[in-house]
Amino acid sequence: MAGRRLRILLPLILAASCAAGCGPKRAYYWGDYDSALYSHYANPQDSERYLERLGQIVQQAEVEKDKVPPGLYAEYGYALFEAGRLDEAVTYYKKEREQWEESRVFMDKMIRNTQRLKENRPGPAPGGNLPPPAGGTPGSAPSAPAPPGDAK
Amino acid sequence: MSRRGLLLPLLGFLLLCLGCAAAPPKKDYTAFRAADPRSILVVPVVNNTTNVEAPGLFLSTLPIPVAERGYYVFPVNMVKRVLEDEGLSDPNLVHAADTARLCNLFGADSVLYVSIEAWTAQYMVITTQVTVEFDYVMKDGKTGDTIWKEHKKIVYAPQQQSGGGSPLASLVAAAVQAAVTKAAPNYMPLAQQANDQVINTPGVGLPAGPHNKEYGKDPVSAK
Repeated sequence: MAGRRLRILLPLILAASCAAGCGPKRAYYWGDYDSALYSHYANPQDSERYLERLGQIVQQAEVEKDKVPPGLYAEYGYALFEAGRLDEAVTYYKKEREQWEESRVFMDKMIRNTQRLKENRPGPAPGGNLPPPAGGTPGSAPSAPAPPGDAK
Repeated sequence: MSRRGLLLPLLGFLLLCLGCAAAPPKKDYTAFRAADPRSILVVPVVNNTTNVEAPGLFLSTLPIPVAERGYYVFPVNMVKRVLEDEGLSDPNLVHAADTARLCNLFGADSVLYVSIEAWTAQYMVITTQVTVEFDYVMKDGKTGDTIWKEHKKIVYAPQQQSGGGSPLASLVAAAVQAAVTKAAPNYMPLAQQANDQVINTPGVGLPAGPHNKEYGKDPVSAK
């Protein structure tokens, strides 16, 4: 009977331990990054909570040197951007660029675009309608903010 | 004695054969090593199932294992949104787009394309069988050539046998469990398990990237 029990339990235990973070220890601090992402997909309206959770992960990851995972600063920066906090967005794009050489091309474009958007913000942009940076419906607008580059 | 002496090695041999058959053939990593990517653009996943939540859920499981393998992984949600702004809100369009152009846009060395082939919960009388199946393809940003690919299917069915105790009791327990699974079939551990096996299995997985201590040392990339 104990054997049977074990047979039932073992896969469950394995699955559970997998969920808790399979295998060897991680190189970076991820916190609940994956679950923050998927709750954001499941419930896109709740962008404040998403921003907050990413912020907490960034804070935790920064406690130890070299623990901030690739993409985290940029992801947080983009969430700030979507909340209309453009200056802070640029700050985090710069952090990403500084920590990860691989991100340079992308971050340069995003920084440039964000700054351009900021400069244009006070008045009506000449020859262009400026969409609000936050809350755009996904995929709705070809005129959405911050295309990363010249997509001919 | 002689009988036993014969049987045991035979059994051992058979087991060995089984083991051999089960081990997947070693991959050719020539193209991968030639490309030697430092960064991976994980693009939104194509969904070949009817489950609408699957792509978002699954995309969120990808960056951690890939980054932990030693690569720079572009921020998946930001990439998804930027692609949407570029008019590529349909992952099928992203997957069909020119790899080199896509990489240019982000300054990426390679792209990881993943599609979901199965994401189902099959409700049976006393248990629920959950199946996930994925197709992974990685392409070089310069040539657009496929440099690595893998396929994974995982089927999970909690084994519920009416043993021990009263048969009725275990039947009730199984029914309860099926109901729980039915309410919210938990695909995430299975998806994570699939990723882990696909990425970290020596000989077939993703070779260690430049940010991993094993870079250039693991048997996969040494071969």
